[in-house]
Amino acid sequence: MASTPEPIVSAAAAPAPATKALSCPSCGGTLNLRAAGYTVTVACQYCGSILDVANPDVRLIAEYHQAAAEIEIPLGTRGTLRGVEWEVIGYVQRSEGGAYPWEEYLLFNPYHGYRWLISNGRGWSFGEMVTRAPTWQFGAVALDGQAYTSFFSDGRAQVDYVLGEFYWRVQVGEQVSTDDYVRPGFMLSREQNAQEVSWTLSQWLEPDEIKAAFGVEPPRNPWPPLPHQPSPYRGRIRTGFKLALGALLFLTLLTIFFGGGPTLYKTNLPVALDGRAHSTTLGPVTLSRPYQLVSIRARASQINNGWIDFDYALVNRSTQATYTAYGLAERYSGRDSEGPWTEGGGRATVKIAAVPAGTYDLVVDYTGNWWAGAASSSSYSSYSTYSTASPTFDVPGGATIEVSRGSVFISNFLLAALLILVPFLFFLWRHLKFESARKAESDTGGAGSMFNSDDDEDD
Amino acid sequence: MLKVNCPNCGGENVFRSAGLPSRVCDYCQTILVRSGDSVEPVGKAATLPFDVSPIQVGTMGTFEGVRFTVLGRVRWGWTDGSWNEWLMLFDDGRDAWLGEAMGTYMLTRARPVEQVQSQAIEKLARGETVDVGTETVIDEEPFIVSDSRAATCIAAEGELPFSAPAGWTIHSIDFRSASGACASLQKEGDRVDFYQGRYVTLEELKPYYLRELEGWKAPSYG
Repeated sequence: MASTPEPIVSAAAAPAPATKALSCPSCGGTLNLRAAGYTVTVACQYCGSILDVANPDVRLIAEYHQAAAEIEIPLGTRGTLRGVEWEVIGYVQRSEGGAYPWEEYLLFNPYHGYRWLISNGRGWSFGEMVTRAPTWQFGAVALDGQAYTSFFSDGRAQVDYVLGEFYWRVQVGEQVSTDDYVRPGFMLSREQNAQEVSWTLSQWLEPDEIKAAFGVEPPRNPWPPLPHQPSPYRGRIRTGFKLALGALLFLTLLTIFFGGGPTLYKTNLPVALDGRAHSTTLGPVTLSRPYQLVSIRARASQINNGWIDFDYALVNRSTQATYTAYGLAERYSGRDSEGPWTEGGGRATVKIAAVPAGTYDLVVDYTGNWWAGAASSSSYSSYSTYSTASPTFDVPGGATIEVSRGSVFISNFLLAALLILVPFLFFLWRHLKFESARKAESDTGGAGSMFNSDDDEDD
Repeated sequence: MLKVNCPNCGGENVFRSAGLPSRVCDYCQTILVRSGDSVEPVGKAATLPFDVSPIQVGTMGTFEGVRFTVLGRVRWGWTDGSWNEWLMLFDDGRDAWLGEAMGTYMLTRARPVEQVQSQAIEKLARGETVDVGTETVIDEEPFIVSDSRAATCIAAEGELPFSAPAGWTIHSIDFRSASGACASLQKEGDRVDFYQGRYVTLEELKPYYLRELEGWKAPSYG
């Protein structure tokens, strides 16, 4: 029995015809059945009469003499959606007792079966009958491990108009009870009549997808959104938040490590703590940007028990415009009942904001002062440099003056942080607005969060 | 494998499996029943109405790792339409039915009804009725009675486990579960046959030798 069977079909067999012609018993028009063998009911595309084609003899169920409605995607139109070619073979107009009308196009491909294109004027969805049954859990329904939140319940959908062919006995006026459940991008619909329950899973289609497939132009920003339309801001919030977080981190690191900016000028001044005023002109300092923050740092790390007053004046060589600032570098040490102490680091940094471009001289007036109070304590002699030598007021190493550009004010940092967060906050606001408009349509409150259950959908 | 000439038209017909003793002559639609090495004509099958099914006698594919060939078909009708039941013969000698309705597929295998643990099926086997919507457990999995209808054989082709003359009417009760499992019980008088399986997609069967249809590109599942 396990022998390999020989192929029965030769690969060169001629293709079978894909349609079957029949003539409408009411108007005599020729109809091409596109799903022969499956189709049960045909609504004549010329006169609207309802025909029963379940049996070889075509029966007239209801005779009409009306021009067929103009439909957005004509019967027979083919389009490729998600990699499969589909042909429009049927069209149904439905409503809730005449209100909230919507349209459904029946799509067919002999190798892939049936699908639905559903539109209510605010967007399009691609539906497929579900052969599994969803299960109920915690007030929601679950299918293939995904939870769907109740959105519409106890609806009554009726058929208002039909055109084309269908695989069931379709009747105008026929009603089913409906319930709809959603998760972002998907709607799960339950329809029940006296005989059976059926489930359809529809996916929301991007406007570009339906346009590329069937040439229809859906509204770009329908309002309110469809029940299962994913918030377009959802992904952006996440991306925005990640970006903002990254930018903030980067900004913080930048401030910490590169707060100083490039050094424009650096020199060393001899300093003595002798109370005498000195004046020196340093430079040139060249500022190339239209406006910049200029930072002047004085460092006299070997100073002890003294202070140096610095009066700076940045003088523009061509305009004589002058920008002044004052700095104080000091350091003290001693010993008291609690042990040795020091105060001050011998440094002073001053900043001058918004200095225009130009070539500047830096005029520094400075005075070194010795703290007389220290003489009475023993701390002075504890400082090794001074303890063995005869008292001198020279500060070893003098004072280093460094002029640099662009170090950051903390207020600027906060402003930048706020700017970074603005897009995130904007999209968050838009998202919440979108979700509230979407849920406002629900008759069950659409209680579930569309924000948390979407882990697999974006990015 | 048995090759015989049709007693009616002389055309050569093949019987590939002892489990499939009935067949419809490929040339004259005479229903032939095999008995040992001889065949006997028992009637005439009706001509199959045209349909656009992608399956044909000769379609091959794989299910659960075993290769199959479609050898026959019965077309059934009911008040609101009709559907195909394709007979699949597997390389391991077993057979199965591929039910094709509304563009969906169900793969089921015959199972002795006495082995099936289910209250609803025991009731049906005793000749009682169950309503559509009744819930029942079949071998520990919950099912629901999804359909109950009379079905009439419209036509048949190829090799089959039984003769299927046109007009032959049975009662068919369908079951389905949340997971996509399905079952069907068929009654004809006191005779009860039970079939169990699940919904499948054509894609998962990786079929080849699909029927070519004008203007459509048959998918290739290589």
